[in-house]
Amino acid sequence: MNHGPIINPEKITTLPIGFRDILASRADAEAKMINVMMSIAISHGYIRVKPTLIEFENTLLKGPGAATSEKVFRLIDPISQRVIGLRADMTTQAARIASTTMIDAPRPVRLCYAGGVLHTTTNQLNPERELVQVGAEMIGNSTADADAEVILLAIELLRTVGVKWISVDIMIPALVPLLLADMQLPAEIFSVIRQAINQKDVATLKKLANSKSSILVGLLKIFGPYAEAMQDLEELDLPDKARDFLVRPAEVIKLITNFEPNLSVTVDPAESRGFEYHTGIAFSLFTRGGKNEIGRGGRYQSDEDPKSTATGFTIYLERVLQILPEDKQKPAVYIPYGTPHEQSKALRMRGQITVAGLTPVVDNYAEAKRMGCRSILLNGQTVALS
Amino acid sequence: MNTNDKLVLAIPKGRILNAITPLMLRAGVELKDRLSEKYARQLQFATTDPNVEIVLVSSFDVVTFLAFGAAHLAIAGSDVLMEFNHPEVYTPVNLDVSICHLAVAAPAKQCSKKDSYRSSYMRVATKYPNLARNYFAQYGIQAECIKLNGALEMAPNLGLCCRIVDLVQTGSTLKANGLVEIAKIADVSARLAVNRTALKIRPRLVSELIERFRGAVSAT
Repeated sequence: MNHGPIINPEKITTLPIGFRDILASRADAEAKMINVMMSIAISHGYIRVKPTLIEFENTLLKGPGAATSEKVFRLIDPISQRVIGLRADMTTQAARIASTTMIDAPRPVRLCYAGGVLHTTTNQLNPERELVQVGAEMIGNSTADADAEVILLAIELLRTVGVKWISVDIMIPALVPLLLADMQLPAEIFSVIRQAINQKDVATLKKLANSKSSILVGLLKIFGPYAEAMQDLEELDLPDKARDFLVRPAEVIKLITNFEPNLSVTVDPAESRGFEYHTGIAFSLFTRGGKNEIGRGGRYQSDEDPKSTATGFTIYLERVLQILPEDKQKPAVYIPYGTPHEQSKALRMRGQITVAGLTPVVDNYAEAKRMGCRSILLNGQTVALS
Repeated sequence: MNTNDKLVLAIPKGRILNAITPLMLRAGVELKDRLSEKYARQLQFATTDPNVEIVLVSSFDVVTFLAFGAAHLAIAGSDVLMEFNHPEVYTPVNLDVSICHLAVAAPAKQCSKKDSYRSSYMRVATKYPNLARNYFAQYGIQAECIKLNGALEMAPNLGLCCRIVDLVQTGSTLKANGLVEIAKIADVSARLAVNRTALKIRPRLVSELIERFRGAVSAT
């Protein structure tokens, strides 16, 4: 009996983990989606920018970019001998453009972008290491109207490409750090408390925290539809400083629900994970059928200048594509060798796809079938293959 | 994400299942077809709550089903939740049942000698490689974890490893295999866990169920 290997190692030609080729209608759908989304953002006065794939590490990781540090692929630039990084997020790049080459542009600067990003990290739930990011940023305006504008723009982008039901989850990432600072907790339990809050683990929080923890416990139980959640927050015994943090979310919710009365809006005031660099309100966009959020965004500080307050969003295109029905590849018409060019051109002008025969064959029908065509052009007429 | 209109609650087979049955009764989520002989092979069950369906999976898989959104809620041991530590999972309720702890154990004869010169490397057999690695790393020890799915207690005596990290309830299994517990890593109990997306897009149904389980726990 042959006990030789059933797998020939020389035949293994996979891509590195987390990378995959995108083919056919999916590749087409992705490109079209980017075009549609960008043209909507441009129509709202956002200037499209195409930042570089690589940057020096220090500019890539500046400010809000620091959060992406562990995701960045790094290499040495053979010319400058400095460390360069392959972008893991384009938000920082837009911020860099606004504060360098576009420093003299009138504020607010509105930018939009779409492009590939690379992540070193991978996990079972999010295995992709090459992703397409679509986003927009508004830099240099601190109003609630600016916050509302980017949320509504993100929703418009998603709706236009076919995401019907969207739910916006509003967060106040600075609220929990403020309450924790107020509690003066011993340093050694700080990270455990932080984790308990992130996991909405009321029992652990009760056990660990001190007398002031009742506010946090109350806060953890508040999440859900905005009207009740905001009401519950008002009734919570928050310190005055924390109460100030509720004003902006209330304003923004009013603005977006005035414009979109049927939009599902929820509030989750204790959630801050992944939004550590956000200074104002933050938001996540969910839809039914997605295993994860399909977009997120919020207010952050784009550089040290206090005037450089920014707000923006990112849409995860792979996740959007995953939940939308896949477009069927359009059936093609086979054009036998020697058919006059005008005839096949006329078909294409009518939106048909043509596949030209390159050599004369005995059986044009069989050849059309072999090439995966659904019909054949004979004597100026398209004939369906049986 | 499972787009089923019903909320899917994943429950582990085995140890936890018996412990949580009374709690589920009080929370108003009772299996419609009891786990009798007749249904022994069935894995999906309707419940007394028309909005909730139950799936039975293995204790380690519960968290995977939940993280991927195949289940919207789950009852899982905090050991498994900690091991996977998925950011997509909330653990709002400690059900306070099926209580035990996660511990490091070693052969008794090894522990009688005081080893003040600890190695910075150790081979550890466990079902919890992430937790074990992180625990030993705190003490500057690189733990090479061998993932085993059972019969861990034999591993040190057969020379597979020098330590095991496992759940300890009474300690009798350790004793019977000539092992002693040398450190406690964490208390373990069953938790009600929730998928993040489910909580965000169906907050009313999910929080109502959370509150019912909270009520069921405080009624004990």
